[in-house]
Amino acid sequence: MLKKKICLLGSYGVGKTSLVGRYVHSMFADKYHTTVGVKIDKKVLPVNGEEVTLMLWDMAGEEDGAPVKLNQVKDASGYLLVADGTRGKTLDIARSIQERVTKEIGARPFLLLVNKADLRETWEIPETAWAELAGAGWTVMETSAKSGERVEEAFLTLSTRMLAAQNDGSESEDDD
Amino acid sequence: MTAPNPKTTTEDLFAALDLAVFEQADGNLFRLVGHLPAWQDLHPGDKERIDLTDRFPLLEVFFPECEATWDTGEPSQVHSDIWTEPDPRGGELYLQAVASRAGGGRFLILRSLPQALYTYQQLAHDFELEKEKVERLTRELERKRAEAERATEAKSTFLATMSHEIRTPLNAIIGMADVLSGTTLTAEQKKCVDISQHNGVALLNLINEILDLSKVEAGHVELERIGFDLAEVITRAMEVVEVRASAKGLYLRQSIAPGVQVRLIGDPNRLRQVIINLLGNSIKFTEQGGLEVRVETDPAGSEPGRLRFAIVDTGIGIPQNKLGTIFESFSQADASTTRKYGGTGLGLTISKHLVELMEGRIWVESKVGEGSTFFFTARFDVDTDQSERRNAAQVATTPLADLETAIGGLHILLVDDTDYNRFLILAYLRDAKPTVEIAENGQIGLQMFQAGHYDVVLMDVEMPVMDGPTATREIRRWEQERGLEATPIYALTAHAFTEMIKRGLESGFTDILTKPIRKMTLLEALARCTKGGAAGNAMTTGATPEPAAEPVAVAVPQAGGRIRILVEEGMEDVVPSYLEKRRAELPVYRQALEAGDFEAIRRMAHKTKGTGTGYGFPALTELGAVLEQAAMRGDGATIGDKLSEYALYVGNIELQYSKR
Repeated sequence: MLKKKICLLGSYGVGKTSLVGRYVHSMFADKYHTTVGVKIDKKVLPVNGEEVTLMLWDMAGEEDGAPVKLNQVKDASGYLLVADGTRGKTLDIARSIQERVTKEIGARPFLLLVNKADLRETWEIPETAWAELAGAGWTVMETSAKSGERVEEAFLTLSTRMLAAQNDGSESEDDD
Repeated sequence: MTAPNPKTTTEDLFAALDLAVFEQADGNLFRLVGHLPAWQDLHPGDKERIDLTDRFPLLEVFFPECEATWDTGEPSQVHSDIWTEPDPRGGELYLQAVASRAGGGRFLILRSLPQALYTYQQLAHDFELEKEKVERLTRELERKRAEAERATEAKSTFLATMSHEIRTPLNAIIGMADVLSGTTLTAEQKKCVDISQHNGVALLNLINEILDLSKVEAGHVELERIGFDLAEVITRAMEVVEVRASAKGLYLRQSIAPGVQVRLIGDPNRLRQVIINLLGNSIKFTEQGGLEVRVETDPAGSEPGRLRFAIVDTGIGIPQNKLGTIFESFSQADASTTRKYGGTGLGLTISKHLVELMEGRIWVESKVGEGSTFFFTARFDVDTDQSERRNAAQVATTPLADLETAIGGLHILLVDDTDYNRFLILAYLRDAKPTVEIAENGQIGLQMFQAGHYDVVLMDVEMPVMDGPTATREIRRWEQERGLEATPIYALTAHAFTEMIKRGLESGFTDILTKPIRKMTLLEALARCTKGGAAGNAMTTGATPEPAAEPVAVAVPQAGGRIRILVEEGMEDVVPSYLEKRRAELPVYRQALEAGDFEAIRRMAHKTKGTGTGYGFPALTELGAVLEQAAMRGDGATIGDKLSEYALYVGNIELQYSKR
């Protein structure tokens, strides 16, 4: 069976664990619960008629003095950048992580999830930021681990892209 | 969990240390050597060939890092990143792998890390998230505050604009009435002019009060810090109400307790305003006895500059249940008081705000029928440097004639686009006869200034083509380029806001004359531009609302109950006979009262009401009004009282004439 590794990256408290909890266990807890190190979960997903085991690496949120452990991301097929719509600076952190990942280990399929869509009226992401992201060609989804809004879609979209990238990648490897 | 077993002491040791030790069998397959207590639960079953990467995917990332240690023993240990596993017994386990080589064997040790790891991280994140929340709320509050500030700003601008729009035409109305009253008029015309003047001034006062209140409420009032003499401020305040007190036959006293510092630093104009407001209020409600201003060091404070003022009256008093609300806007103790006694009730509200700006408080104690005492406290600095003290409370009182003589030789450039403003200024200057040249806008004014020679420029602010501030800046530049001394330039503006005035002074104006400009103010300002400055250094800044103008004549109170009235130029022929007629009317009033002929009293009083102010006796107008009302009600007692006041007033007047 095809096994694919997805990393969830972003600042602490943006809802990475909650997104996995919603996606894998259909559960959500309101109380914040920090992740120590990394928590790895599995989910079997049919993609284009093929069963894929997603290995979901829910990594501890980045914070000052504790950057994302790129060695764990190295062999991932793709990643989800997660930001908290109610905390503008978490978007900056997500962008900075994306830059480092691309620079250190190369391009990988990724999506940006702006989470906590259930609190949309208190979001503080400036209009200019959305325009910049769209301009950079990022796929951005507004998700809510609490309500489940666009959570399944996010994982499915990323998985589909990862598989597509793998196919492209193997073709290019053949060329070498 | 682990039953005591003499054969497995090593396992017990491992258990006690919270460890599991494996030896590599083949690739990812490991043999369990010993284990941590939860191991059985985590991985039941085979102990000989365990696929650790399948069980712990993180190890896939870790094993490549272990090869050197396993092959060579260098470095002796490698640590993996920490990961979280669900504890089958509930909760979570925090694990870390350590690779090591011993006796040629390739070992992997799994450690369970203490819960404190989680607790500390959770606490730190909870703290950071709370901090972010506080910061977010602070930003939100800051945004709302800025929004509110913008709204207040808009309100202020609106008020400034409106006040300008209202004051400009009002300036023309009052000014024209002033001019008109100085010409020869029939009795009927005179009456019309009086009413126009009187109501114009009343309207102006109302606008000033509303404006003042808005400014105070918007936090736009900044207190000055200048040296002043406390006794003079009180005297000046009392002078303003002197005429009204005399008209009612009320005494006015002041007492400053021994030991009170009188040389102070603060805002004398605002202090005077508060005292005038309180005195004016007390006079309204006091029919007999009188008023007293007392000052003492605040018994509740210890600083020498912290003072307590008391304005004591013997008036009608205030009911207990109204004491709390009288300092609120538009809330006289009784709505009917506004009709009966007049006033907007704004004076007390303004006073309250001003007193609070002076770091004090205001309150009232009162007994119905016995009188009221308004107290307020305020904090000032004591002026230790008295040598160069500039007396701000002092307003020039140089007689009109001296002023006119002084400015007679001036060469004035008047820059104003409105013909009635120009006409008004010219009318004010008619008797002084200085040379006045006129420019219709700033551009023309600038050209004329550069071509001619002027002692002083009177410059309107808002004009087409080129406004006053621009023209003034240009003039100042032109002067500087030629090394010329700055010619005094007075701004003429209806803008009464401090910011507006500051902006004006930045343009290079010497000073600002706030419209409506009164004759004396203009003459004094011009006199300052003559050599020697006839009016001395006293500056009437535009920021200070001018006291309600006394039309035609200036009342100068004097000790001993004499009321000195300065007869304005051109009125010398009519004022004495007018006063004589009013004196002669007294017995006629008394006879009519005895006969119960209220209609006769009403007719006479009505006439007096209409003419008093015009001839320089605003108190007669006030008395006439009260008499007229009383006559219409058939209220003989009030008429009797008022006639006594009337007699007291007209009997004590001493006319003064300007030397010329």
